[in-house]
Amino acid sequence: MGGVKIPYLPLDLFGESRTALLDAVRRVGMSPELVPGPRTAAFEEALRADVGAVDVIACGGGFPPVLRALGVRAGDEVVVPAFGGAALASACVHLDAVPVFADVDPWTLVVDPVEVDKAVTGRTRVIAAAHVFAVMADMPALRRIAADYEVRLLEDASSAHGGVLGGRPAGTWGDVGMFSFAWSEVCGMPGEGGAVVTSDPGLGRAVRALFAPGGPCAGSRFDEVMAAFQLHRMPLWPRLRDRRARIAEYYTGRFSGLTGVRPAPSAGGFHAVYAVFAERRDALREHLATRGIGTHVHHPVPLPRHPAFVALATPGRDWPAAERATAHHLALPLHHRLTDAQAEQVADEVCRFAGRT
Amino acid sequence: MPTVPFFAQSGTFSQLWPITRQHVADVLDQGKFADGRKVLELEKALTAYTGAKFVVGVNSGVDALVLLLKAAGLRSGDEVVVPAFSPPESAAAVVLAGGRPVFADIEPEGYGIKAASVEAVAGERTRFVLPVHLFCRPADLGGVAEVAARLGLTVVEDAGWALGMRWGGRHAGLLGAGGALSFAPGRTLGALGDAGAVITNNPAVAEVVGALRHQRSGYPVVGAPSRMSDVQAAVLLAGIGRLDSDIRRRAALARQYHRRLADVPGVRVVADPPRKGGLRGVFARYVVEVADRDGLVAGLADAGVVARVCVPVPAHLRPAHAHPLHGPGAFPNAERASRRVVALPLYPDLTAAQVDRVCDVVAGWAA
Repeated sequence: MGGVKIPYLPLDLFGESRTALLDAVRRVGMSPELVPGPRTAAFEEALRADVGAVDVIACGGGFPPVLRALGVRAGDEVVVPAFGGAALASACVHLDAVPVFADVDPWTLVVDPVEVDKAVTGRTRVIAAAHVFAVMADMPALRRIAADYEVRLLEDASSAHGGVLGGRPAGTWGDVGMFSFAWSEVCGMPGEGGAVVTSDPGLGRAVRALFAPGGPCAGSRFDEVMAAFQLHRMPLWPRLRDRRARIAEYYTGRFSGLTGVRPAPSAGGFHAVYAVFAERRDALREHLATRGIGTHVHHPVPLPRHPAFVALATPGRDWPAAERATAHHLALPLHHRLTDAQAEQVADEVCRFAGRT
Repeated sequence: MPTVPFFAQSGTFSQLWPITRQHVADVLDQGKFADGRKVLELEKALTAYTGAKFVVGVNSGVDALVLLLKAAGLRSGDEVVVPAFSPPESAAAVVLAGGRPVFADIEPEGYGIKAASVEAVAGERTRFVLPVHLFCRPADLGGVAEVAARLGLTVVEDAGWALGMRWGGRHAGLLGAGGALSFAPGRTLGALGDAGAVITNNPAVAEVVGALRHQRSGYPVVGAPSRMSDVQAAVLLAGIGRLDSDIRRRAALARQYHRRLADVPGVRVVADPPRKGGLRGVFARYVVEVADRDGLVAGLADAGVVARVCVPVPAHLRPAHAHPLHGPGAFPNAERASRRVVALPLYPDLTAAQVDRVCDVVAGWAA
């Protein structure tokens, strides 16, 4: 084995922004104002203009406070996609609320509105939808369901910053939307943190109050260094998005018509993750690994089967599409520093594997 | 700009910049930006500094307290005894962890939680006591340990202001299940944003906090994701090298305040404890007591000096924690301290001339 030649994410992911980070640290260190500071406020304002929301609250981490602001109390139910990260369901558990898992679409892997409708009960307080990899959830349908049942809609747009559906930006479809700027995201930064977006001024005030000094989430504020970094890097964002879109398009072109490997679906114009659906996923992963190509399985188990949530999963229910997704998705290298030659090598190896199968 | 801000660090920060710069450059080369190698390096340095067997870095001091309480076995609805004279974060962390804060009075000297009051307020559902170390000396834990042992309470310490403080020969935070440190800007060791850590000698507590800060796939614990930023860890690693000299500098400035203010009528100064029996104070903050705290803060502000009220409202009188049996008068020492205590500027960048300036204004105001 010749080691990893094309890692899933490179060590020098922020190579072009080295000086920007060092400058941000230095400027914040020399400044008299720290958390919560003027740079965070300026970054919030820039994001507000970017997505066209009424209020944007940048924060260190957000699901528990946002669920709280949406009125979730002990014993309430929150409908959560069965395929995805654990953060949403964990946040429910921390509030003594119950995550109720809804199955996803077998092809696009976003939550299936029909399954959401089935999961709503008299105790449901919030429907949480998430955009997955490069597909926005069916927000118009989910909005109708939320309105019919008079429950709130939380839009987890963590990976989907920059996405648009029906002319409306990701993050602005729900009563409240969430973005993440963790380093692997399209507009990521060398740290962790995100933003809460809302067009409901009252909700915005409620969320802001939670993060205010002395508030229950005062320890989870956005980092001034990262705000300075993001303000500097925002003009690059269109280029970062564009580069990922072109690589994704190239992969899809190469994988169309393969046997046993389906190209990643895409809807909404954002490309956080390029995940193929492979009949023999582990064999493909192994094939690529032996050729020095890093891949990632984002969600190895459906949330209702996750050891932390298994006791909460509705008995007698199953989640066949989420089960299949966890067994068959495989994310390929997709980031702005991936060269054309590297993308070609990845595609060649995927095609070679499919040809052999 | 005020002539004497409440906190400033540009002088010390620029001296440290070459070291800080190198640590941040390392982070850029390591490709992981939360809970990465720089955080591990900081955890090792803090292990050496505090003498704790385990140090687990997290996103903030509040998160450290929340995760520590959970790891120490707090179950939803458990009561935690918190001193009524404490910053809002202490009780907020208890609520975030799923517990219910109940309050106790403090000692009039040193502002630490009062053992007899802990005993008086503890009930059937009380399972924890949370001493908070404030200002310049650790809370006296002897009486608290005795009451906790008798009532079967677990001691968990809010050591957010206590870096470098020692009690009974051990670093603050290491008497019971563990302690929560905060590295928020302005602390004795401060980052440029939020950062915190749990210190403990208990391997089981360290293990659970370590698991909680991630949501590991396949791990049967519901996580409370809270990871320390490697960039902030880089800033802290640069700072830890001069921590002892910063602490000495803080002590020298406090002595100067003390000399100038000890004889001013109407101003009560607060001294650090004598260094004996394994006791060591650190001037995280320099506070004075006056009859009219808001008047002093306003008087200083008029002269360009920023001072702060430490605990505007004692915890039991905050609307969020209202309790029918604990109205005004329930915890007289805490209420009195809240009405009287003001923090004056104290940080390594502060000059002797600035301290003189603050003292002139305080003396003028008192007269």
